Amino acid sequence: MTLAGVANLAVNGLVEGAVIALPALALTLVMSIARFPNAATGDLMTLGAYVAVGVQAVLVGSAFGAPLLGMAVATLAAVVACAIVSVAAYELIFRRLGRAAMVASLLASIGLAFLIRSLITLVVGHEQHTFALPLVRAWNFGGLRVLPTDLAIGAVALVVLAAVFAWLHFGRSGRLLRAVADNPDLARLSGIRAQRLMWLLWALAGVLSAIGGVLLGVKSVVMPELGWELLLPAFAAMILGGIGSPAGAVAGALLMGVGQELSVPLVGPTYKIAVAFAVLFVVLLLRPAGLFGRPELAR
Amino acid sequence: MLDVRGVSIEFGGFRAVDGVTLAVPPAAIVGIAGTNGAGKTTLFGAIAGQLRVARGEIVFAGRDITRLAPNRRARLGLARTFQVPREFGSLSVLDNLRAAAPNDAHESLAAAWFGRAGAARADGELERRADDVLALTGLSTMRDQPASALSGGQKKLLELSRALMGSPKCILLDEPFAGVNPVLIAQLLDVLRAVHARGIALVVIEHNLQALKAVVRRLVVMDQGRVIADGEPGAVLDDARVQEAYMGGVV
Amino acid sequence: MDAYLVAVFSVVLIYALLAIGLNLQYGETGLINFGHVAFFALGAYASALLALRGWPLPATFAVAAAVAAVAAVPLGLAALRLRQDYLAIVTLGFSETVRLVLQEERAITLGVQGVPGIPKLFGALGGRATDLAILLALLVAVALAAWATHLLKTSPFGRLLRAIRDNETAVTALGKDPARYKIQVFMFGAALAGIAGAFYAHFLTFISPEQFVPLVTFYVWMSIILGGVGSLRGALAGTLLLVAFLEGSRFIRDLVPGVAEVQMASVRLAIVGLALILFVLYRPQGLFGRQAS
Repeated sequence: MTLAGVANLAVNGLVEGAVIALPALALTLVMSIARFPNAATGDLMTLGAYVAVGVQAVLVGSAFGAPLLGMAVATLAAVVACAIVSVAAYELIFRRLGRAAMVASLLASIGLAFLIRSLITLVVGHEQHTFALPLVRAWNFGGLRVLPTDLAIGAVALVVLAAVFAWLHFGRSGRLLRAVADNPDLARLSGIRAQRLMWLLWALAGVLSAIGGVLLGVKSVVMPELGWELLLPAFAAMILGGIGSPAGAVAGALLMGVGQELSVPLVGPTYKIAVAFAVLFVVLLLRPAGLFGRPELAR
Repeated sequence: MLDVRGVSIEFGGFRAVDGVTLAVPPAAIVGIAGTNGAGKTTLFGAIAGQLRVARGEIVFAGRDITRLAPNRRARLGLARTFQVPREFGSLSVLDNLRAAAPNDAHESLAAAWFGRAGAARADGELERRADDVLALTGLSTMRDQPASALSGGQKKLLELSRALMGSPKCILLDEPFAGVNPVLIAQLLDVLRAVHARGIALVVIEHNLQALKAVVRRLVVMDQGRVIADGEPGAVLDDARVQEAYMGGVV
Repeated sequence: MDAYLVAVFSVVLIYALLAIGLNLQYGETGLINFGHVAFFALGAYASALLALRGWPLPATFAVAAAVAAVAAVPLGLAALRLRQDYLAIVTLGFSETVRLVLQEERAITLGVQGVPGIPKLFGALGGRATDLAILLALLVAVALAAWATHLLKTSPFGRLLRAIRDNETAVTALGKDPARYKIQVFMFGAALAGIAGAFYAHFLTFISPEQFVPLVTFYVWMSIILGGVGSLRGALAGTLLLVAFLEGSRFIRDLVPGVAEVQMASVRLAIVGLALILFVLYRPQGLFGRQAS
């Protein structure tokens, strides 16, 4: 394996990692505040991708038909749709399960995932769709091949992550959210208004899932299993990074992305999910609280 | 019997227990008192094995148990009860005790299928022993009730009863009197004395100093992770440092 | 008896084996196993592939159970150290990984196309006799499984499992290591699923990786929730209802023209998803059985 070959894999891994980081961040925030892994995150990504690809298809040929503008509008539509669905899911389902055992919310989120996926296929069918984007050739830096699309994807992901982090560190509600994610008992103790905060949390989860889905759809194809296949790597990233740590989730995601890509020469491209699972399994066995997690949360 | 030597327990950078040394002779009754956050329950957690010791060692019945898993310590004869009772809610009181008793030979898949007769005989024996223990702790009337139906005080008695099924040499009791009504406290005191009379060492964490004074012969007071007094209850409670730690509260 | 009913009841009994195993794992011991279909798949493939190499069926069934049980060991070990939700994710990942391996290792498993021409159980009898024989064999298997589970639940081992489910820390503090017991339960439940898989393979005579998707795991979860978790009778009743639903949806397709099979699959998925949500919201006792929730 040449250096250029490894570098190519690493770059591809970083882009994938950046995309995984979005649902991983959503997962870690929901997990630390609502205390359960939201298995519907993947299919929410799928929903975002389908909404975007649908809106873009409608816009083609119209005033908003230009690729970038169309993508922007389509993504906005996806973001709004997923945020609404996410908050609705909280209001109708997860809020009512607040006091119930974790397995209840977990099962409900699986049910929600199935429901979203089935409704998508009922409405749109099982065929794959792709975003209408101009074909571009890869740039070649002496063996290092980089697709401009991938760069764009990575850039968008980073910008979104940066914006969210800025909000979590400097925005008033954002800092509140981060504090509660870091120390869930804090909310109860200081009487922080829970309701609005929860709506923000779930809306944010929806936004992140939507953008993640769109980026993933741009990178590959939009199909019903799109998001579900990213669920395990996103979980692995969350656990690697330690629950409740946004930075950890992103770091974990990048690690997962690069790790998965670097494993391709060894196990082939189709085993990426298996790699994610193996990493998850080994990390949890050695450190049940995750790499940067706190052992108190482990049991 | 139980030897805690220079034990320190840390959480992150915070030292919850700082260089505690405590020796419990066989068949002693020792009380541990102190304000909230003094580190009492944390110390128990380390002795019982749920928490990791940063420094120091713990020796029980001549064995170094500092790194031993909690269930192995219990098998050596070191039992504990919990501050918040951990009863097996879906089991009856009797079954709580039978599940608690050592029963390796019959607690396996193979025994469930091919050793029914032996298991039934063992269960009969366990029932006799359980009745004996229940008579001692005063829970005989609740024998066949589901554990979830017990009152808070009764659940504490259940915790103690379960611990006794393992024929322990030493029991760590974490706030046995907390939240128990005064009538039951008297009964609990009798039970503790009866248990002690069987030669079992007791280490009792408690806030209720009146109750503690009535049953222990030796009192250890902790404050901010350290032992600040250790001796005869009356003398300890008169100690200036202890009084200061309680900041003028009724001692 | 009508050939169709014989087939449907055979499916009921296969799912019943799955449900009995999962019920023991979750209902009795509190293990959240979201990867049950993996053991089903491993049993099916193990038995099918060996049978195609000429092994006698009793042997392949035994191997199916053994393979599934052994596969449960790493998960069992994981279960010891992981909190419930992590275990759920890990078991889910495990079942997807197994499916991936079955899909990719074409040399052994024939990959996505699946394995056709699996010897039918009691095929030598021919025609209706074969179908009835399969049904009978399944009845015996389920009866044995139910009996073994009943013996287990009413034994000191079963008592300890319930204690672990109620309060694992207390069990540890009393000198017992929950690990030993959890692993045994995991393995037994997996073995039952493996046997179910073997029956499935030699009943359908064709298996492929896409039959072993997570949806199947959640079909089984629905069964045990429907019947009330922890209850053996409930698991059997729930399975009956589940298969009635699955078969019923097929009839709806016949009644409503223009509905493609693919769309029916989506409808079924939607209903399962909705059912999971509704059960969890409105029938919590189904999720916790006789245990105080």
